[in-house]
Amino acid sequence: MKIKSLMTMTLAAVAFVFSMSSCSSNDDEPEVALATQVEGSYTGNEIFVVDNEESSNETKAYVFSKVSDTSIDMNIPEVGMGMMTIPSFSVKGITLSKDGNTIKGKVASYEGTVTGSDGTEKAYTVTDLTALFSDKTVVVTYTLKYGKMPFPFTGSFTGTKK
Amino acid sequence: MPAINLSAQSFRDSVELEPVVVTASHSPKALKDAPVVTRLITLHDIKITDATNIQDMLTQEIPGLEFGFAMSQETSLNMGGFGGNAVLFLVDGERMAGETMDNVDYNRLNLDNVGRIEIVKGASSALYGSNAVGGVVNIISRENLEPWTANINSRYNSFGHEWRNGANFSFNTKKWNSQTSFQHTKIDPVDLPKPYSSEEIAIELLKKAQGLPYDASVLDDDSNLSRLYGQKTYNVKERLTWRATDKLTLIGRGGYFFRTSERDTYDYHFNGYSAGLKGRYAWDYARHLELSYAYDQYDKANFLPDGTRTHDHDYSNRQHVAHALYHHSFGKNSLILGADYMHDYLSTYQFVDNASHAQNNIDGYAQFDWNITERLNVVGSVRYDYFSASAQKAFTERLAVVYKFPWITFRANYASGFRAPTLKEMYMHFDMGNMGYLLRGNPDLKPEKSHNFNIAVERTNRIRNSGFLDGRYNFTLMGYCNIFDKRITTIDGGTYEGMESALYWNEDGITVWGVDVSLGHIWDCGVSLRLNYSWMHETGNVYYSDFYQPRSHSMTWRIGYNHRFSRHYALDAALSGRSQGKPQSGRTDVDQGYTICKLMLQHHIWRGIHLNTAIDNLFNYKPKSYYYSSPLTTGTSFSIGLSVDLDMI
Repeated sequence: MKIKSLMTMTLAAVAFVFSMSSCSSNDDEPEVALATQVEGSYTGNEIFVVDNEESSNETKAYVFSKVSDTSIDMNIPEVGMGMMTIPSFSVKGITLSKDGNTIKGKVASYEGTVTGSDGTEKAYTVTDLTALFSDKTVVVTYTLKYGKMPFPFTGSFTGTKK
Repeated sequence: MPAINLSAQSFRDSVELEPVVVTASHSPKALKDAPVVTRLITLHDIKITDATNIQDMLTQEIPGLEFGFAMSQETSLNMGGFGGNAVLFLVDGERMAGETMDNVDYNRLNLDNVGRIEIVKGASSALYGSNAVGGVVNIISRENLEPWTANINSRYNSFGHEWRNGANFSFNTKKWNSQTSFQHTKIDPVDLPKPYSSEEIAIELLKKAQGLPYDASVLDDDSNLSRLYGQKTYNVKERLTWRATDKLTLIGRGGYFFRTSERDTYDYHFNGYSAGLKGRYAWDYARHLELSYAYDQYDKANFLPDGTRTHDHDYSNRQHVAHALYHHSFGKNSLILGADYMHDYLSTYQFVDNASHAQNNIDGYAQFDWNITERLNVVGSVRYDYFSASAQKAFTERLAVVYKFPWITFRANYASGFRAPTLKEMYMHFDMGNMGYLLRGNPDLKPEKSHNFNIAVERTNRIRNSGFLDGRYNFTLMGYCNIFDKRITTIDGGTYEGMESALYWNEDGITVWGVDVSLGHIWDCGVSLRLNYSWMHETGNVYYSDFYQPRSHSMTWRIGYNHRFSRHYALDAALSGRSQGKPQSGRTDVDQGYTICKLMLQHHIWRGIHLNTAIDNLFNYKPKSYYYSSPLTTGTSFSIGLSVDLDMI
């Protein structure tokens, strides 16, 4: 009887301790900000589709930097070669939200300028951007209009965090 | 009610082969006597389709023809296997300057003051010179004969929230006839629906990256286009005829066109200017002489959103054309002698240092129309052309035979065609989009050549006392073969000035075989049917451009009904359709055949008031992806328009 009572009390004590530790975790340790969770450099494969023609660029690094707890900037590296080069460009103010186990970033439209390979300033517009982060993986999809190029690029990137 | 009567008469004309056409023989002939099969689009056809411009009109009426987009959403054309630059567009027989992709700016060719359109498929260079390789589309202006007319009209179309507003005024006296027209159109940008959003695509990509099951079809989007640019147009035209004496008539004309296309980075501005003077002196019924001068200019320029002109995309094409034509009849036979001079000037950003080039074209031609018997007619034509820039010469000829059996009319025709290399094809030096890909002209290009053979049978008759079939019908069956050689296209030009390049080149050509069938029936009760079917097949060095998808089978059809219900109300109704078969290329990422139907109801109310309502794409067809020659629809759309003939009120 004593043994049974002792075991019951022990189990109750363990349950209490676990439940208290769980509560303590929720209450005392604030969740890491979304931007902090996703910021960093992701290396992977970039695909550009222009005029229904696909080109793949491997081992590219997309860099995400924190602006606020729920906002990040994204830097896309240079692509192409010679005169047919799109220089590195940024998309700023990507708004983050949590969706289950995934963190989602969205930008409807972003306009910027860069210096092209011929030394002249080029305007670019990125529209309909979605970035999905899950564990160490990111997927980015967007549409890019660059300079006087008559065709928009459809870009997608799949990478993992270093 | 004259407006209603005019409409009905035009409608009957289209079936009964009564109208007069000019394109096939360079002189007026009854359609049933034309030496070459001529497809006529009447004033009634123009009104019942409610088309805004020639592109809109031909798309609805002509099978075997497909407009599409090219780079920068410029318009490309394929007609019966020929690219747009092999089809010659004329306005009252005059050429137009400028180009958007492979032909003129079709927005210039609005239909506000057009009386009819004549289409001759196959070569016609023996009469019209360069570019008449695959066909001629001649847009003939309307000439009202009432003392005066005035019309205002407006139409709204839900596709792109398009507005079209127009005004027309004419007067006619013993000595003078004037036609004035103005049209303004405005269409908003149209975002084309994608099958899947960027987020849906990203979700499937993430599943794929994580090794989870994913839907591959979501990642497979073959669209070339995501947004149609908005644009505005303004088009003003004036045509003034002075019948100075019984023998001498002078016709002056002028026009101005402006279009702005609202792009992502710039606004594209297009300006067109045209002017002309024609004199016709008739000694008697048998002899007359025509002398004319025509000027046409087409300019393009880019503007920043703040209105600053960038000057890095300036383009100007100017053409001066002088014509002389002498016509002499010998009883039932006739002789035509003609000569032209054209000065063609082009300045464009696509030349080195925005330079300009010019060339002169001179030609002479003769045609003899020989009516050997009451049944047999033979028309022969020869022409010589010389182009100064390329120092190219071209001899072209045509022989057409018409024989009228008691039951059918039989036609056989051979014609040759050519297209001289354009200044752009000879001198282009253009880094496409500043991306290091050079398009290079080739001054050594040879003219494209074509040989067209066709035979046709035609029957027109009235059915009486047969019950529900009573009425008139016509039937035309034409088979043709077009041999097209030395086609000018681009090939890999290797590395040039440190850039990848494409070079204009004469390629081996193609042979196009085809059959056209046209059937029209108008019942005595006011119901009508018109059906046009086209089959074609290309062999040889077939090249499938991304910008158009020639289809072996295509068809247009229209079922019409017109009836006056009371003194104050008449209805003109039409259910029409356009069916396209599978692309000849075998591509599976484009529409594999589709039909788009349209219902048009024109209510003629009281005196001179016309209310037009239309539902386009009745069955809500949507392309699975938007490629360059997709049907321009996002589903069912509607339009409503009001046209008021002020002179009738």
